[in-house]
Amino acid sequence: MPRRVLTPERGLEGLGREVAALDLAPLAQIVAERYASSGDLIPVLQGAQRHYGYLPDEVVTEIARLTGLPASRLFGVITFYAQFSTVPRGRHKVCVCQGTACHVRGGHGVLRAVESELGVKPGTTSDDLEYTLETAACLGACSLAPVMTIDGRYFGKLTGHKVTAALGQIVGDGEESDGD
Amino acid sequence: METETGVLPVPSGRLTSIQALRDYRDRVCARPAAEKTVRVCMDTACRAGGGEEIMRAFERELERRGLGGSVAVRATGCHGFCARGPVVALDPEGVFYQMVEPGDVSEIVARTIVRGEVVTHLTYHDAEGSPCLRQPDIPFFSGQKRVVLRNCGTIDPTDIDAYIARGGYEALAKALGTMSPREVLETVRASGLRGRGGGGFSTGVKWEFAAAQRSEKKYVICNADEGDPGAFMDRGLLEGDTHAVIEGMLIGAFAMGADEGFVYCRAEYPGAIKHLRIALAQGEARGLIGEHILGSDFSFSLHIKEGAGAFVCGEETALMASIEGRRGMPRTRPPFPAVSGLWGRPTNINNVETWANVPPIITNGAEWYRTIGTQNSPGTKVFSLAGKLNNTGLVEVPMGATLRELIFDIGGGITRNRRFKAVQMGGPSGGCLSEQHLDLPVDYDSLRDAGAIMGSGGVIVMDETTCMVDLARFFVNFTQAESCGKCTPCRLGTKRMLEILTRITNGEGTMDDLDRLEKLAHTIKATSLCGLGQTAPNPVLSTLKYFRQEYEDHILEKHCSACQCEGLVKAPCSHTCPAGVDTSSYLALVAAGQFKEAMAVHMERNPLPSICGRVCHHPCESMCKRSELDDAVSVAAVKRFMGDIAPSTESVRPRPPDQVKRVAVVGSGPAGLSCAYQLALAGFPVTVFEALPVSGGMLAVGLPAFRMPKDVVAREIEAIVDLGVEIRLGVALGRDFSLDSLLADGYEAVFLALGTQVSSPLGVANDDAPGVLPGMDFLRDVNLDNGASVGDRVVVVGGGSVAMDAARCALRLQAMDGRQRDVTLVYRRSREEMPAYEWEIVEGDEEGLRFEYLAAPARVVLGDDGRVSGLECVRMELGEPDEGGRRRPRPLPGTEFVVPCDTIIPAIGLSLDMSWSSGELETSPRGTIVADRFDFQTSHPKVFAGGDAVRGPSTLIEAIGDGQRAAFAIEDALTGARVREDYLRTIQEARKVPRAVPLDRLEEDVERVTTQHLPADSRVMSFAEVVQTITAEQARCEAGRCLRCDLEH
Repeated sequence: MPRRVLTPERGLEGLGREVAALDLAPLAQIVAERYASSGDLIPVLQGAQRHYGYLPDEVVTEIARLTGLPASRLFGVITFYAQFSTVPRGRHKVCVCQGTACHVRGGHGVLRAVESELGVKPGTTSDDLEYTLETAACLGACSLAPVMTIDGRYFGKLTGHKVTAALGQIVGDGEESDGD
Repeated sequence: METETGVLPVPSGRLTSIQALRDYRDRVCARPAAEKTVRVCMDTACRAGGGEEIMRAFERELERRGLGGSVAVRATGCHGFCARGPVVALDPEGVFYQMVEPGDVSEIVARTIVRGEVVTHLTYHDAEGSPCLRQPDIPFFSGQKRVVLRNCGTIDPTDIDAYIARGGYEALAKALGTMSPREVLETVRASGLRGRGGGGFSTGVKWEFAAAQRSEKKYVICNADEGDPGAFMDRGLLEGDTHAVIEGMLIGAFAMGADEGFVYCRAEYPGAIKHLRIALAQGEARGLIGEHILGSDFSFSLHIKEGAGAFVCGEETALMASIEGRRGMPRTRPPFPAVSGLWGRPTNINNVETWANVPPIITNGAEWYRTIGTQNSPGTKVFSLAGKLNNTGLVEVPMGATLRELIFDIGGGITRNRRFKAVQMGGPSGGCLSEQHLDLPVDYDSLRDAGAIMGSGGVIVMDETTCMVDLARFFVNFTQAESCGKCTPCRLGTKRMLEILTRITNGEGTMDDLDRLEKLAHTIKATSLCGLGQTAPNPVLSTLKYFRQEYEDHILEKHCSACQCEGLVKAPCSHTCPAGVDTSSYLALVAAGQFKEAMAVHMERNPLPSICGRVCHHPCESMCKRSELDDAVSVAAVKRFMGDIAPSTESVRPRPPDQVKRVAVVGSGPAGLSCAYQLALAGFPVTVFEALPVSGGMLAVGLPAFRMPKDVVAREIEAIVDLGVEIRLGVALGRDFSLDSLLADGYEAVFLALGTQVSSPLGVANDDAPGVLPGMDFLRDVNLDNGASVGDRVVVVGGGSVAMDAARCALRLQAMDGRQRDVTLVYRRSREEMPAYEWEIVEGDEEGLRFEYLAAPARVVLGDDGRVSGLECVRMELGEPDEGGRRRPRPLPGTEFVVPCDTIIPAIGLSLDMSWSSGELETSPRGTIVADRFDFQTSHPKVFAGGDAVRGPSTLIEAIGDGQRAAFAIEDALTGARVREDYLRTIQEARKVPRAVPLDRLEEDVERVTTQHLPADSRVMSFAEVVQTITAEQARCEAGRCLRCDLEH
């Protein structure tokens, strides 16, 4: 399926809007609820990412201010763990398993099919911020190999047809909301 | 889950004493239970298949029928049989349904719950096709011993009362009420429990280290960062029996004097994290976690930490760094965590499964635990079975169970009946084991000795379609991406290994790369900081050790036998063909109706299309991607049609001999013909020497005419002779000429293409009596019209194709004489192990052949005339498997019986006749000639050999492939160039035959062609060919089913 390709300008505009609208107030509550000592840094970052979808500079700087930890320590942690993202991520998250069982049962083909359906490469997000495509080393559902998740829901024993059908749900969804 | 409809209110609140726990359990158990329970699996796999919809459908249907009060619906954790999900079990009957759909629910309620019947179409069916009504009847479950998984699939893991009702927290009560911390330590140590995370270190000893530390603060940690790709034991356990893990931690904390604990669970397991949070809240509410647990002095608080996606955090020092809110990088040990762990305090870390083992050990005692498993590895192990096997899922077996039991008995064998190739144990830190290890009793030490590790218990099974080089690359790609980068050997070393492996899978490797890989791997192993780096080379080292040949094939032959390496494989059919025929191109030409052009493509590499279309075992079809969609393209049927209608002579442009060096080929079977053909096309004058009065070797005298008509053989050989190849008949090596005389006569090279044509004797008393006809001699006499005859009662001994051919010839000889057909085939194993093809067995059966399985000859019984009067056989049973993996038959003394007969045809094996040799060539212990796998050279520099002469009895297409490649090697040896091979490769690579069938019409339902057979009763009256050639229309349609994998590159 051909994906809408956004020009960098439009993509940047989109980002600008997001950043401008960023409300840092909820961070105070996230930090208050989760933070007692430096051991709680990761839960705080997880909470912030859950709220904002990603961890933009402003958010990280604000957390540093609220916790009193150096921002460099925060960035060190953020860039170490695969879960954290400093760039915006899509409304829908598609994660294709590349674990061993999926590998021997054709997980690579599934990834290629998803890439061409969504028009994004692994680790990236479509320009319209609809989809983020990720890979996981193992989703822990090896008996269903090859497997992927769409927004946390598992789809197993995938074939070309099943990939299309599963993605159809969110792709159609995205197209509609594109009408405005 | 709100399914209990308890009338008596169960008091909530904290349980402040051991007695309170016991009273509470009594009250929970006394709640009026529903008469029946439906257990619906809600684990990831079953939920992905629609588990929640099934759950709701049950609730609705029971409500509709007014059964809501008497039938409970319970959501459980993993039953283990994930391959057959969604699964549903019904109590009290124990009926087990698999692959249930929401639409099946009303039938289950109406028939099983209301009427007490079993819905057999939803039950598992065993190998014989009989339904297994109850869970324990299913081989997948009957082979297991569930200690750790005792509650998984039985209880609702989100309900602490369900755990307590099953005796949960009783082990904690026992420890707190009747044991000192010292006694708990002693018990765990005496049980011999070893760390289930993979290392296998004694849990009791580890606990003692932490217990011995004096500190007012100690921690225990549950490592639930199950990051090994291909492992899901810990997830299944955490989701299915959460409280068992927590109870184990409580007992451990009590024994070690810790008062705080963490469960570190990877973020990719949201279900496990959810259940942990529920269990923690319920445990705290009941006073089982918190201050003064059960009224004792023991207090314990528990926290759940969600990982943030880093494989290295499975390493204990990295995990602690992550809990402390830092980058998850390991540090050097010592100090060990027991001395200085979390925030510098004594800390003990165990894996999920280790903790879950603790409660049953405390409840039942160390002695009991030691009765399970092996001497040095007591207990059970949970494995996640995944990959190319039928019953993927979560299983638990005693330590010491063999891989064969795991993979074949419980795992149900390999999917699509493909051949087992390897099993990967222990994820990226583990190794690949091969067929020779199938009977290895699995425990920590046996696996380490074999080059793998227990790891956390991921078992990935691989078949012939998995490339071992690609697999090693896969794992190294994983570890290099997950390397934290702190130490150089791991950070740079894994990267370099990945580069080398990538080079090899792209066909750009060199043999030096293998040495480099090995050296690098040993260095990384010896010098890395933590377990990740120290074990990262294991997949490389173990595949190099057990599958080195695959590495060599990638490097030297640019060949990937699994057809997985995209840089090497254009289309799997062509790549897997030993002769390298450009299958997809000629299929496309047939589909387009260009039969002559199609034939020309085939003739490039294989001059025997009509023959191969009839008797090749067509490995191309076993690799066909169309089989993933419906069935493989019937390449053989198309090829046969093509060969039969398009004369081969017109398809090849003969090339006048322009080389002066002459080559001799000894033997005119498929290997010899193929070699002579390619040499002739390379411009060499070739002479073929054949001992028999006809040419064709086994094709002419080994295969009966009803499978391989003689005119077909003659026609295809004629086309080769037309190219200028000379065939001299009736001249035998050793009798009429020798290797020396050939070389003295001016032949510059000799290719030995001798077939294995000597039948092995029965090896029992009187096995040379009149009436005993060696199988190959019999077939030869039938084929050459040498007056072959059989008696009225014939016994054929053997289970291969020669036995089947001999038996079916004997049936025809009897029938054509107007006699009763009376032929019995005696085979020492069972039908499943028979090496003959399935279709041969079916056709023989149709023709009236009788089969006597599990019987072996003991003695040939002689009549008064000294002739055969019967064959005494002994019953066999199947015992331990041999090296090849087939179970070895064992005689049962005292079960002798006589099959009366007048003719015995032994067909139990073939060997090479080497009587001509005076030791000038090196031979193998099997009696075959030793020749190089790549250049076919024997120990004599001018003598080359291939086919059966080197391989022993092998297949037609392997012989053709050997002949072809030997011709290229001979050209190289004589001229220093491979003109013919390069020419073929160039035209094959450049060719792009357009699609005959447009893509959008491809996926229409076109079934694989079925061939016509002569009816069984009439076909035994002659040697006429049984299977008929398909029509042009059928051939075009069948060829059009090809997906054209070749165009994807």
